[in-house]
Amino acid sequence: MVKKSYYFFWCLPVILSLLSGCRDPFEPEIRFSDFNLLVVEGFIETGSEESILKLSRTGPIRGEEEFRVESGAMISLNAESGERWDFIEIEPGMYSLTGNFDHDKTYRLQILLNNNHEYLSDPLIPIESPEISDMGFNRNEDGVQIYVSTQGNQEAVHFLWGYEETWMFRPPFPSPYFYNPDTKDIEFRKPEDQVGRCWSENKVNRIVLENSGRFTNNIINQKEVVFIPNLSEKLMQRYSLNIRQMAISREAFEFWEIMRKNTEDIGGIFSPLPSLIRGNIHAVNTSHPDPIGFVSMGKSGKKRLYINVQELTPWQVFIPDYTGCAINNDTIPPQFYELEFGGPNFVPVVEVVEVLTILGYQGAPRRCADCTLRGSNVRPDFWED
Amino acid sequence: MKKIWIIVFILFCFSLSPTKGQVAGTGEGEKINGLFAGIPFKRFVQQIESSYPFRFYFSDESIGGLQVNLSAKDNSIRQVLDAILEKTDLKYVIDEQMRVFITKGTKMNLNLPEMFFSTETPDQSSVGTQRQSDVERVYSRNKLYIIGSGSSDTEAILKGKITGLETGNPVFGAIVFEKVNFTRVFTNEQGEYTIRLPLGRHSLFIQNLGGFVEQRQISIQGDGILDIAIEENIISLSEVVVSSEKMANIARPEMGVQKLNIETMKRLPAVLGEVDVIRSILTLPGVQTVGEASVGFNVRGGAADQNLILFNHATIYNPSHLFGLFSAFNPDVVESVDLYKAGIPTKYGGRLSSVLDVNAKYGDSEKIRVKGGIGLLTGRLTVEGPIGENTTFIVGGRSTYSDWLLNLLEENTDLKNARASFYDFNFNVAHKINPKNTIRFNSYLSSDSFRFDRDTLFQYQNQSANLSWVHYFNEKMEMEVVAGRDMYNFGIEGRDNPPNSYDLGFDIRQDYVKANFTYEYDDRHKLNFGANSIRYKLNPGYISPFGSESTVDANEVNPETALETAFHLGDDFEINDQLSVNYGARYVLYQFMGPNTQRIYEAGQPISSTTLVEEKTFGRGETIQMYHGPEFRASGRYILNNISSIKAGYNTNRQFIHLLTNNAAIAPTDTWKLSDPNIRPQWGDQLSVGYYRNLQINRYEFSIETYHRNMRNLVDFRSGATLILNNAIEQDILRTDGRAYGAEILLRKNTGRLNGWVSYTYSRSMLRTAAEETAEKINDGNWYPNNFDQPHNAVFVGNYELSKRFSTSINANYSTGRPITLPVAKFEYGGSERVYFSDRNAYRIPDYFRMDISFNIEGNHKIRKLAHSSWSVGVYNLLGRRNPYSVYFTPVNGVLQGYQLSIFAQPIPFITYNFRI
Repeated sequence: MVKKSYYFFWCLPVILSLLSGCRDPFEPEIRFSDFNLLVVEGFIETGSEESILKLSRTGPIRGEEEFRVESGAMISLNAESGERWDFIEIEPGMYSLTGNFDHDKTYRLQILLNNNHEYLSDPLIPIESPEISDMGFNRNEDGVQIYVSTQGNQEAVHFLWGYEETWMFRPPFPSPYFYNPDTKDIEFRKPEDQVGRCWSENKVNRIVLENSGRFTNNIINQKEVVFIPNLSEKLMQRYSLNIRQMAISREAFEFWEIMRKNTEDIGGIFSPLPSLIRGNIHAVNTSHPDPIGFVSMGKSGKKRLYINVQELTPWQVFIPDYTGCAINNDTIPPQFYELEFGGPNFVPVVEVVEVLTILGYQGAPRRCADCTLRGSNVRPDFWED
Repeated sequence: MKKIWIIVFILFCFSLSPTKGQVAGTGEGEKINGLFAGIPFKRFVQQIESSYPFRFYFSDESIGGLQVNLSAKDNSIRQVLDAILEKTDLKYVIDEQMRVFITKGTKMNLNLPEMFFSTETPDQSSVGTQRQSDVERVYSRNKLYIIGSGSSDTEAILKGKITGLETGNPVFGAIVFEKVNFTRVFTNEQGEYTIRLPLGRHSLFIQNLGGFVEQRQISIQGDGILDIAIEENIISLSEVVVSSEKMANIARPEMGVQKLNIETMKRLPAVLGEVDVIRSILTLPGVQTVGEASVGFNVRGGAADQNLILFNHATIYNPSHLFGLFSAFNPDVVESVDLYKAGIPTKYGGRLSSVLDVNAKYGDSEKIRVKGGIGLLTGRLTVEGPIGENTTFIVGGRSTYSDWLLNLLEENTDLKNARASFYDFNFNVAHKINPKNTIRFNSYLSSDSFRFDRDTLFQYQNQSANLSWVHYFNEKMEMEVVAGRDMYNFGIEGRDNPPNSYDLGFDIRQDYVKANFTYEYDDRHKLNFGANSIRYKLNPGYISPFGSESTVDANEVNPETALETAFHLGDDFEINDQLSVNYGARYVLYQFMGPNTQRIYEAGQPISSTTLVEEKTFGRGETIQMYHGPEFRASGRYILNNISSIKAGYNTNRQFIHLLTNNAAIAPTDTWKLSDPNIRPQWGDQLSVGYYRNLQINRYEFSIETYHRNMRNLVDFRSGATLILNNAIEQDILRTDGRAYGAEILLRKNTGRLNGWVSYTYSRSMLRTAAEETAEKINDGNWYPNNFDQPHNAVFVGNYELSKRFSTSINANYSTGRPITLPVAKFEYGGSERVYFSDRNAYRIPDYFRMDISFNIEGNHKIRKLAHSSWSVGVYNLLGRRNPYSVYFTPVNGVLQGYQLSIFAQPIPFITYNFRI
């Protein structure tokens, strides 16, 4: 609640004794500094959709390096009846498999790494998720809540939702022009180069879980998946949310629950004691450590939702990146185009015309005019207007 | 002409009258008090003789016009006489019968008949090295007192009064016994006893409870009187004696009981010079703490909330000031503390680990006294004394003026608005209605408030009041009834800005009635029985908006009510000289009562929001859940020989109120929770075995105690549990089993100029998620160390008396660093960066070591002055070692960086001035 306060609170005794510092760096001797544990993430789709498994490694706690991927592994899905399907590595650490798998069978995931360490999952029982029965949004005084509704059944009791948010936004002064250094003139942008409309996406996701067993007839009604607070740019123009609903076992549900709670707060002086996270994959040779990760299997349900800003009018937007944006009142005459617009940080925005003559252009800082600094101007494949 | 002053002096009467027989066996230990300003020596002698058992013999001639000019405060007769006769050629001699012979030039030669001494006793061998007063005591012990004159009966009645050697106050509850027929009596409130003995010779033993054994050789020939002075709390200027001394170490049947008196505590070096009850008990084996500024202490691997802290019957929920820097007991009001680590008497219950019984005074019965002190942080003042003949009182207050220290820090903008203040207040009265009835009133208030900036104020209060009535039915039976109320509340006032202003807090109120009886069934059985009942009203947490502009949502966790009732019966059974047992049981009934809403979860499933079946509402007074069960207490002692014994004990306990704390350190916001249908009462047992031995005629005391404890239904938490304002806290709780075991070795030297103790404790405290708990298994359901598991702990406490006025104490403390869970790796999962933690408590913070020193300087006795004063100066953490209090990680520029936090990271000097009027 008041973290800063706690810090000073604990310093008080020291202050009392008129000491200056109470905090020293602490470098614990972690017994083996790099755990280098295998991390397995993924969901195996049963209904002819592509399943992606990601293999990576944990990194040192204070390392700044990129997450290491685990490449060159042989992953296979083995049915208890003896059939076997192999994953193919489509990118380093990303393994893909597409297939149709019988829901009445039990499967195991087998992973053989480059270094010959072998891992085997607990039996995987595919669970078919019911359809997302409803998806919508509610506006309240704090913002917009986007929900899903579904109805569980005997098999599908626990649910996990994954989502991807995509939204369109405009900079404060979208500019159709650019300075062409070859012609030393201001020209119109081509449609594929326009910087006045971009798409941004969010994949840093919350973990959304629910147990339908606590509701009458397993009906999950209006479960909040995303909350968009007031002033968010996500609803500036048009927003899209793609939800993937997965039915998972109770064990998987608990795994994700711990994962969710463990992430909320790390290692502060008053933060709660964390719990260890494991999963359903185990090293065949018990002397090797178990990997982290819980792989589930089944048929997910998907649904996409669009929200236009018109549906929420008025929706005020505040984008911190755009604070202080203004068009410079000076008109830049052609002889100064190169001087003013030749650099990367100032772009022409408004054409100043007097009696059919172009006197020049008023400009604005590039950060206020070019949306590609914060997103992509490539329209996503799925995007519907 | 020589005129000799002889005032009637009867040491013991060879019985012309059968009722006489006064014995002044007090020796020179008698302390002289008073102001003797400019009076002739003869007047001085009159005054002394009227108040003290000394008798003076001298000639007027030799004295001449000698004037006396001094103020005495607890001085011995020798000190007083040395001062008076310093510049004269007068010499004095004091004999064992406290006759003072003053002669000119040369000392009078006293040649007492040899037969007065018994030379056979083993004590005699060490007499030469003992102080003069000890010699006198030994003398009294071995002297044969002949009482009464020829009676025709075969038995005679011996009466008398037992008084304290130092105070002269009657000693209540002392045992007078003889060991042949096991005739035993207790002294009453006035210290009087009556014992029927067969005619003939006896060894009479007098033991103060938990104290020293005094003895007298008597030959009883008829009814008579024998008054005896014994040591009460074994306090004397030259000694620091911690607990059950000498014989008691070996002889008392209970084990794991430690007694500290305030004199001992005053000698220990203290943080900023504050005499501290809780810090003092931390020097005892088996008592540990997670850090220097943490609330509470851990006894034998038990959590801090498993200690029952009683302050004259009142339960103290937060025994500390400034969130743990000082304990909340005013040292001038405290008489002594008893810590029961095992062998908890049947009358106590409700906590698993220990009972800390802090005994406050009821005031001096002789005269009004004022005591006080001024330290770096606090000032205190206590007034005590009699009101009329039958009433005594004590009023004590202590307050801080620490703000000036914070004000020095103006430079540091972050803290210039920090303020800290606390105070505590005691008011106790005892009134004797008649010899059979005494009423006592206790009240206590402690209050703390602290803020680190202008916006947020933390505060908490303990408030207690109770009334007790002690009634003596007859010599064999007595009763004590107590009724009272204890309250504790904690609050945070957040005034960040008007829309964010809030009040947050929680409070506990408990009303209780206790009735305890002791009944002396016969010489061998002493029964204790009674009942007590506590009604808890707990407000586990609330937040409310403050001011009309506040947009904070009000929220409140349902208040809880419960009733805990217990019946107990215990028996102290002395089977024979060697073997003695204490055994008994309590039966506890606990009712969790409405009004409240109870959540019911799917049976056999982990308790979580996903397994919630229904919520049921209960009305006022309805019992929602009842728990009941027995608790057993047993301990026994077998004396091997004169100097050694073995003891064993077993006890079980139940606890119905739990402190919710999810931090390695105790956070100020930790709240309490009563057992309800989803949170079962804690249960624990303890088996302990010990060996006790006194070495070199009781000069050294050695003991080794080992114990093993099992605990069930402890409270641990799931990952990411929210403890504040959580209305469904059971969803975050993991039922946990605990076990603790260890050994405590103590070697103590009680007498001599150099005294103190060395202790070593090996102890482990482990937890394991209960087998039936399926929600989450901490460390895969294996045993893991508790937050305060510190296997090795060694303490050295040494006092050296340089002179009567100047003494020094050194205290050294080592313990293994406590365990911690560290983030050890990170990885990406579910679209975010995640942190991988080590197994719970797999690492430890660095070891703890601290050394303190203090000097105690008593004021000069010779100078005439209003008040007796003393100074205490010293250094806390002499070596300036930066002992880590806590370790935490925080991202700095996106990289996790570990920090260790130290409190008292440098040597901290202190000085305190104390005075007594």
